[in-house]
Amino acid sequence: MSYPKVITKRMEDHPTDSHTIERYEATGGYVQAKAAVAKTRDELVETVKESGLLGRGGAAFSTGLKWSFLAPARPAYLVVNGDESEPGTFKDRQLLERDPHQMLEGVIITAIANEVHHAFVYIRGEYPKPARRLQDAVDEAYVKGYFGKGIFGSEYDLELTVHLGGGAYICGEETALINSLEGQRGEPRLKPPYFPAAKGLYMMPTIVNNVETMANIPHIFEMGVDAYRALGHGDDTGTFMTSLSGHVNKPGNYELPHGITWRELIYDVGGGVPGDRELKMWIPGGASAPWFNPDDHLDLPITKGDTGQAGSMLGSGAVVVMDDTTCVVRAAERVVRFFSHESCGQCTPCREGTTWLEMILRRIEDGQGRPIDADLLLDVSDNISVGLAWPPRQTTICPLGPSAVSPITSIMRHFNDEVMAHITEGACPLAKTEVHA
Amino acid sequence: MSIWSESTQSRAKEILAKYPEKRSAVMPLLYLAMAEDGWLTEEGMTEVAEWVGITPAQVQSVASFYTMFKRERTGKYLVSLCTSISCMLLGSDDVLAAIEDESGVPHGETDEEGLISVEHAECIGACGGAVACQVNYELIEGLTAEKGRELVRWLKKARPEAVNTDEMQELFGGQRSFEWALPSDVGAAGPFPAFEPYGTATKDPQ
Amino acid sequence: MTDVKPQSDTQLVTITIDGVPHEVKKGEMLIKAAQDNGTYIPRFCWHPRMNPVGMCRMCLVQIETPRGPALITACTNPVADGMVVDTQNDTVKKAQEGILEFLLINHPLDCPVCDRGGECPLQDQTMSYGAGESRFVEEKRHYEKPIPISDLVLLDRERCILCARCTRFSDEISGDPLIEFKDRGNNTQVNTFPDLPFSSYFSGNTVQICPVGALTATAYRFRARPWDLNAVESTCAHCTAGDRITIQSSQNEVLRFLGVDAEPTNHGWLSDKCRFGFEYINSPDRLSMPLVKGSDGAFRESSWAEALDLVASKLRSTIESSGPDSVGAIGGARLTNEDAYALSKFMRVAVGTNNVDAQLDDGLDPQFLAATADRALISDLETAKTVLVWGPDLKEEHPTLYLRVRRAAQELGATLIVVHPRATGLDDRADHKFTYRPGAGSEVLTALSAGEGRYADARAALNTGPVVALVGRSGTTEDPKLAEAVAAFVRTLSDASILPLARRSNVFGALDMGLAPTLLPGRVSLGGIGCANLEENWGPWPTKTGKSTREMLAGGITSPAGLEALIIVGADPVRDMPDGLVAAEAIESIGFVVSLDQFLTDSNRLADVILPAEGFAEKDGTVTNIEGRVQKVNNIVPGPGQSRPDWSIIDDIAARMGTTLGFSSAEGINEEIAHVAPAYEGVTWDLLEWDETDGVVVPYGEAGQPLQYIPVDTGGKTVKGDLVLHQARVMYDDGVLMRNGLSQHELAPGAKLHVHPDDVTRLSLDERATLTAGDFTVTLPVVIDDSLSRGVVYVPFNQPGTPPLGSNPIVTVTAAD
Repeated sequence: MSYPKVITKRMEDHPTDSHTIERYEATGGYVQAKAAVAKTRDELVETVKESGLLGRGGAAFSTGLKWSFLAPARPAYLVVNGDESEPGTFKDRQLLERDPHQMLEGVIITAIANEVHHAFVYIRGEYPKPARRLQDAVDEAYVKGYFGKGIFGSEYDLELTVHLGGGAYICGEETALINSLEGQRGEPRLKPPYFPAAKGLYMMPTIVNNVETMANIPHIFEMGVDAYRALGHGDDTGTFMTSLSGHVNKPGNYELPHGITWRELIYDVGGGVPGDRELKMWIPGGASAPWFNPDDHLDLPITKGDTGQAGSMLGSGAVVVMDDTTCVVRAAERVVRFFSHESCGQCTPCREGTTWLEMILRRIEDGQGRPIDADLLLDVSDNISVGLAWPPRQTTICPLGPSAVSPITSIMRHFNDEVMAHITEGACPLAKTEVHA
Repeated sequence: MSIWSESTQSRAKEILAKYPEKRSAVMPLLYLAMAEDGWLTEEGMTEVAEWVGITPAQVQSVASFYTMFKRERTGKYLVSLCTSISCMLLGSDDVLAAIEDESGVPHGETDEEGLISVEHAECIGACGGAVACQVNYELIEGLTAEKGRELVRWLKKARPEAVNTDEMQELFGGQRSFEWALPSDVGAAGPFPAFEPYGTATKDPQ
Repeated sequence: MTDVKPQSDTQLVTITIDGVPHEVKKGEMLIKAAQDNGTYIPRFCWHPRMNPVGMCRMCLVQIETPRGPALITACTNPVADGMVVDTQNDTVKKAQEGILEFLLINHPLDCPVCDRGGECPLQDQTMSYGAGESRFVEEKRHYEKPIPISDLVLLDRERCILCARCTRFSDEISGDPLIEFKDRGNNTQVNTFPDLPFSSYFSGNTVQICPVGALTATAYRFRARPWDLNAVESTCAHCTAGDRITIQSSQNEVLRFLGVDAEPTNHGWLSDKCRFGFEYINSPDRLSMPLVKGSDGAFRESSWAEALDLVASKLRSTIESSGPDSVGAIGGARLTNEDAYALSKFMRVAVGTNNVDAQLDDGLDPQFLAATADRALISDLETAKTVLVWGPDLKEEHPTLYLRVRRAAQELGATLIVVHPRATGLDDRADHKFTYRPGAGSEVLTALSAGEGRYADARAALNTGPVVALVGRSGTTEDPKLAEAVAAFVRTLSDASILPLARRSNVFGALDMGLAPTLLPGRVSLGGIGCANLEENWGPWPTKTGKSTREMLAGGITSPAGLEALIIVGADPVRDMPDGLVAAEAIESIGFVVSLDQFLTDSNRLADVILPAEGFAEKDGTVTNIEGRVQKVNNIVPGPGQSRPDWSIIDDIAARMGTTLGFSSAEGINEEIAHVAPAYEGVTWDLLEWDETDGVVVPYGEAGQPLQYIPVDTGGKTVKGDLVLHQARVMYDDGVLMRNGLSQHELAPGAKLHVHPDDVTRLSLDERATLTAGDFTVTLPVVIDDSLSRGVVYVPFNQPGTPPLGSNPIVTVTAAD
């Protein structure tokens, strides 16, 4: 089945040179950025607001609204969040590597809309090739006069710095990202008072937008608000990118329309589960999201609203599929281990709690579980994320700690018997996870 | 008085010029320091502190927050194998065991010669190409246990001056997350990401 | 002027805490507002003097929001009108108990051997909120314990709960971020950089604010348990800021000083010199018996009666033979106001001379210090828009003021201008820093006041008031008139006040009690106009200007000052005067010298009689700080042996000379001061009860101040020379109290010759060089110091093994072998 492509169209049509400025300009590139120079902040912000574009980094907040909140103090800054690190997510890597100018054009428009004269692209340190590709593109654009003093021959100055992270998932959180860019530890800041739009980079008003969000911006102006909205499904406008991985026959990044069902995604787009094994569960929106299972969720449409009502989220757009050979304790341990490893260590519940959860899960997996461990897992989780509610009622500065609770509640609700069997039998009731070489 | 070479110093000045405030250059300069010494030494951190005008304790605080600033002696080739959820589902634990066995280096350690370090990494953003591995942050997708052994043998034997993602993918890779773009012509000569502005990239490594 | 608390022009809002409405200050943090209204919300990381971090999460409470109830941290959320807070319900209790459990899973169970045991917030919270049994069966985190992070502080990372109080203190408050978080997540720890210890002048504060026993002081480790301690509040006597402290003792031995949070002065902070500098009190070398020098030149112990009779008869015979102006008294800054008043009255009434001086030729004009017009309060720094520091390096000589100025610049946004001959501790926060050659200060002042060239921006900033100017002598070779010239300039600004700087503990109290050649008690000049009570009590006093310390001693034997008897009170001019060696010659040449002191010093070894005096923590009294704030000091331990309070010794000498001074107790003297000394009118001990006030700034209430000193610019001496010496005090030196506080004496950096790199080349200097200043020659290690101007060399004052280098600013330096 084929779906309309927007942000992946160029790389699909021109697989060998979609990353070059020549190809980009030959396919209509930088026209919208050039036009933006002559537009007012209000015009630009209003257009993006009307487009209904929601941030693609995970929080799904209206991009136009975010821009409109920018406080009046200047200088203002733009920071593009390319610290893509959530397990299962690899879409920004493709956008950066294969079509960097598309994102850069979004950066120029966003900068003008927010009266920004110095923008930064923060790319995770483990992405050197995308960073090199982007730096090449930036250099090309500087030579053309699209960055630097007086862009496009106007009076408008715009500098861009590509910045590499150092290996810390938490820097994907926007205030941690800002701290990191300031040369600090990547610890999330308190909100209040440090809302980036008011007190962001160097305590100045700052817009933080995701790579995919930036890639959408030129298209909104090129096709117009109505056409852009028409691509979507109700409030979920435009297309969305999903990164599909795990037990599927055709893993990869897919640009899709909102509103298709999980069944279509996993079986049509992803080609189904290898060896025709049973689908056991999947993570619908990155490692922070509570897991879905085929009994309850397979025919739900993929929209922000439907997913939220079902107790999860689309988050970073990463879908991790697990078949019936997957041990739920081991899978949960692996996700909890990630959050424990990536906890910044500021908040007591996250620093101590995620590690404790990891230790309990490993003990159960190693056959050392105690009967009280099932309750303990839930109670420790409850002390990190009060009431185990969705969306979480966190006891922490940022949502990382509560994210570690999602796999626990997911397995305890749907696979309680399997967890208890681990404890009572002192071993995994399934055969060891099959390796798909 | 800087302990860095003239060329490293002029690179440091270029880096500082890219930021409105000096402290923002800490992480780029830490990479520069690693490129100079092969890993992040105490002298390197002290030098970075001088450049940005903060204390060495503050530099250490920042550096130690991030996993990529290796403050202990690290091999010329840092093999990082992803064992997060998607790679785990596709058998990464077995690939890691094969790499540890072939290299004789348990995860988190470095061989005596200082050639190879092995670590298991959290998600490196190549889940569609599980099992994913990086050597000096240069990516290989679709690695198997057997290919992992071959990779280790190649590193030990060929001892490339710098490693490059496209070359290694060709030699050892399999399933990819997406069709890659044209090959990149630089590589990494040590356990740091090859990025020209930071002085960490080696041109034409082959 | 009365002691004015910050006026609350702030808006009030109404919030409801646990069902009870309260009016609270808008914008205040919920945790503080609740506490002020009787609801204590548990916390570990929040500290009222530091920015909130919201890290421990112990202060979670529930508020009502349009989207239902929400848990928030009370330490990071300001109150808002209509806020409804629940600090007690089951959700809150469960959340707080959960946090406590998380904090305890990795905390060792070593309370019985922990210094903090018995006064530990974590222990207390666990008793109040904690569960009985641990659900954590895994291995706890392990670290090597404890590790020294400085000469004075040890760190046990297993006990640490990562509240960031110590790291914030070093970064936000003291400005020396040498302890920091290291690593991440569950491996996060506090640590220093290898081989770069937390060598902060303020490190001890981190011990006091640590909410567990992670940071402990070497001086206090395993010395006592909290329940065995006696405690009394007092005022620190090391620097002149008047820091409020608690002194704790056990079995008549002083064991610990703690800072007390006083809004006008120290905000709870102490320098390490103050906090750990009490060791001298317990020194076995304290004087406990009167000493009389025999004909063989050796001291022997004597009875009080014998020693006092000898002193009285020598003084009486000197007065009879050579007149009262042949007697002089030096010192007084280590005394209480009551002791100082006793000495002042003794010299004027029993002897009949104005030859008294509490300063040691390293300060400023006493009238300027005690009575300048437009004098500032320390708290004016809270509202200052511009701060000018032209004088000593505050970090070295006025540590608490340094913290307040740093706060003004760093946290409150004031523009800071620093003028000094070399680097200072405030430079990293200074918006404008000017370095100059000692002796060229007048030229800098002229240029600054005209706003010429590079001074233009700083001059413009001085037009933005309120301006607070802290002025003093940058070093011992600086003309004391420069500070007055700076003050005179500051007075031309539209909205400016002045804090004149002098160091040496209670020097302001001593000057206010008349221990100066030109002052009488209560800020009165020798004319004493309108001081009826003083006249009635004292009778006529001499009106001829007395001799200063410099005039009494700095001439040496070649230029005799005509003194035949000298009283040295708690002073060591041989070590502490710039011309100390000249002073030694002078003291030796004076016919009769008596010393009142706690220790043998390089000065009183030259005396004929030494009388043992009680010291700090051994007597009650009052002291006056740099802004004129009078506060109590209190006694908690007895003085050693037969030592007596200075006032009582003085009273006894007077009686034996045939004069009744009328003193029977320190409190009685205080009442006399409050009656006769105009600026101190009404300032009795009753008024100074700490529950009621933070002391009072004199003149208080209806009282007046007869002398208003108007600083003038008298031009100042300009010094020209190839090489000029800058000599200034640093925190740790060879002063007598430091010398007897062993753990601190080792911290003195030692004398070194700092030279500008260009001069090092020009003079072909290597590792060591010989400095010649007047008659003195000394060979010292060379330190290259590019913070100096060319042609200036710097030597820290009074370091072990190196005598004072004199007041002559022109020196020569040659390479040494």
